[in-house]
Amino acid sequence: MKAPEQTLKPRWVPLWWILVAVAMLALFFGIWCFGQQLKYGDIVTGHRNPGYGGAAWGLYIVFYVFFVGVSFAGISVSALSRLFHIEILKPATRIAELMTISALIAGSCAVFADLGRPLNGLLDLPRLARPQSPFYGTFTLVVAGYLFSSMVFFFLSARHDAAYMAEHGARPLRWLYRLWATGYRGSVAEQRRHNKSSFWLSVTILPLLVAAHSTLGFIFGIQAGRPGWFSALQAPAFVVLAGVSGTGMVILALAAARKIFALEEEIPLLTMRWLTNLMATLAMVYLYLMFVEELTSTYAAPSADRQVAHVIVSGRYAPMFWITVGCLVLTFAIPFVMRLRKVTSLPLMIAVSLLANVAALLKRFLIVVPSQTDGSFIPMEHSGYSPTIIEYGIGAGLFGILVLAVLLFGRIFPLVPSGTLLPASKTSGADSRTRAWLRFGVASGVACAALLMITVGLADSFRLFSAGELDPRIPYSPLIFAGGLMLLFCSAIAYEALPGTKSSSCVDVGQDEADLHEGTD
Amino acid sequence: MRKSLAVLLAWLRSWFLAPWRWHVARRKPEVDPSQRRLAMSAGVAALAGGLVGLTGARRADASAPPDPGPVTGRRWGMSIDLDSCTGCNSCQIACRQENNIPTQGADAKYGAGHIEWMSMLWKEPEDELAPPELLPFPCQHCDDAPCVKVCPVGATYQDSEGIVVQVWDRCIGCRYCMVACPYERRSFNWEEPKFEGSLAQMLNPDVATRTAGIVEKCTFCSHRLQRVKEEARLEERAMRDSELQHMPACAASCPAEAITFGDLNDPESAVAKDRRSPRVFRLLEHLGTDPKVFYLRRDRGEDS
Repeated sequence: MKAPEQTLKPRWVPLWWILVAVAMLALFFGIWCFGQQLKYGDIVTGHRNPGYGGAAWGLYIVFYVFFVGVSFAGISVSALSRLFHIEILKPATRIAELMTISALIAGSCAVFADLGRPLNGLLDLPRLARPQSPFYGTFTLVVAGYLFSSMVFFFLSARHDAAYMAEHGARPLRWLYRLWATGYRGSVAEQRRHNKSSFWLSVTILPLLVAAHSTLGFIFGIQAGRPGWFSALQAPAFVVLAGVSGTGMVILALAAARKIFALEEEIPLLTMRWLTNLMATLAMVYLYLMFVEELTSTYAAPSADRQVAHVIVSGRYAPMFWITVGCLVLTFAIPFVMRLRKVTSLPLMIAVSLLANVAALLKRFLIVVPSQTDGSFIPMEHSGYSPTIIEYGIGAGLFGILVLAVLLFGRIFPLVPSGTLLPASKTSGADSRTRAWLRFGVASGVACAALLMITVGLADSFRLFSAGELDPRIPYSPLIFAGGLMLLFCSAIAYEALPGTKSSSCVDVGQDEADLHEGTD
Repeated sequence: MRKSLAVLLAWLRSWFLAPWRWHVARRKPEVDPSQRRLAMSAGVAALAGGLVGLTGARRADASAPPDPGPVTGRRWGMSIDLDSCTGCNSCQIACRQENNIPTQGADAKYGAGHIEWMSMLWKEPEDELAPPELLPFPCQHCDDAPCVKVCPVGATYQDSEGIVVQVWDRCIGCRYCMVACPYERRSFNWEEPKFEGSLAQMLNPDVATRTAGIVEKCTFCSHRLQRVKEEARLEERAMRDSELQHMPACAASCPAEAITFGDLNDPESAVAKDRRSPRVFRLLEHLGTDPKVFYLRRDRGEDS
């Protein structure tokens, strides 16, 4: 295994600089566009009133859904590899988690851009958010729960490498590594604790992930007033499409990391092939769901639903629709042929991942927009929706966030979990009996407090304590709920990061190692 | 520097302390003393009934429930007689003037972005001699409103008398209500509303102007309703249906008296009578939104 500091230097520095410059440019252009929107109002976007043929939701919501979808793969790859011991996925875990975090930040920014009064949204959502609105899930489940749990996951799983980097990393950044390592010494007991907590984190995160992506589907799926949206398939289809595009993005990020940070040895092609096959399978499932959706909405559907379906399949959105179908078919077909021919081609895998993401973006557009422009029950005017440069600019800025995150992080931290042995790893770091109880007590205390906050916050967000009035009885109760969700994941940090007893006489080291190899308990 | 810091701090404090203050300032619903006595006696009766039940002695009269009395709540509704409507559009203009709606629709860049609380749906007839089909189209004030369900901050809600209202200052502009409303009766302020020249002097002081980035909608002219209520209260009498019938600006301006407003819970009101008409229909009833705007079908045509 290569020493981590070698992987931190990009192989071809000009490429790194060029990419960083482009991403920065995109980001600054996005910020400028957002400034224009704040200054002149949303008139600078292509959004208009849906009743008059426009679309009140457009590219921002498309990007929001897309980026939250991208975040899906990251955390699920990493959680699955820990839950089922899929060793082949291990090199991809850190990049995948990084992808999740940066994509969730980009997605939150997209919602922020969509709000007519972003500042009021920032202050009023924590204060007044109602769980009855599917947007509540966006704000609490996705941002608080999902983003924060990914960060905790990321933080805990990188402590081992951080401890190594604190000794061997670049001198000016050692304070950061030391902070990150939070006293981690790489002892067997610590690794065992990490295995235990990451198992439970994975068990908690996977349902949360399905819930968060379903909430995203519910934003559209439970609106009976919008033909084309009202479908029970929305929520599961969102989860599947999130898997397709997210896995594709992880493959792209892995390929970029191989190229830029010279990680060919650390990230084997087999890992990428595994992910490509997963993506191909999910693409097939999604094609099936699309078929079901189109059949239901054309065969004997209400006329308004049928009109939307016709506009999508054979009307003005037809080119977009058939490109989407083509991309998804290729996303399945190319890996399938590669499997038959027993070839593993990196360029082909990159191409497939790109196609999958093009399909995901276009399909999200087809979900969000046509139901507004052509799906009105009220026969008013028809104009249509075409995004303006401002919207494209903000979209570019969001992609800039994603690229910058990987590029900058790759420079200061190993992108692949290294598994290097730490010098002091032979010390036990095991707990005495009292310390073990203390650790358990603190962690479960934090978890209990978190559960209390979640219950109280959620109940009061439903206005249960204020008897159906407009405001919750406890100020900022949605924030209490979100904070409880965050605190719940902090119990894992409390469990892991509480230092062990100094003496190593309590538990036999050999016994510890045997436990470690047994895997998670 | 110091002053601006103080202003900033005051602003922040106002934001973060506001909910506490609201709770302090929130008025308890006024309970009629006789009702309170009734409730207390009912509670005492229930307790006594429970005790009596426990001891095994059955006395039927002790556990009799109190009489709920007649329905006193008001439920505002509107009826629009399409037979009378001439399509003069005065309801639209009156609504615009009454509610300070900016007239920015003429500029091409707005496209489908103009604000309209009261619209006129217009369908050209196939037969040239027949009159066009018209439909004055305000917010339907649904009893089970999709827009109320989806609002993430509770900026829109149904008040105790059934009107779906929107708190301008609470709206964060996510536009979820716009995509959820099947009637497309919500408009967004795509930019800061402008009232140029003499338009600025024609603003109605009773209605707040809105800012950029919020959604607005028809309020059944709540401010005019409030005025009717106040007048009745000052004269110490009940509201009369005659003064409510043409209360909203659209109804007041309708020369054909096609639009009628009133209390649906009052069986004698004009609206309630219209509601019992055989010609009555509501828009998109299959969605189950239970709108409170009733249309009376056109009666001219082959039948007459």
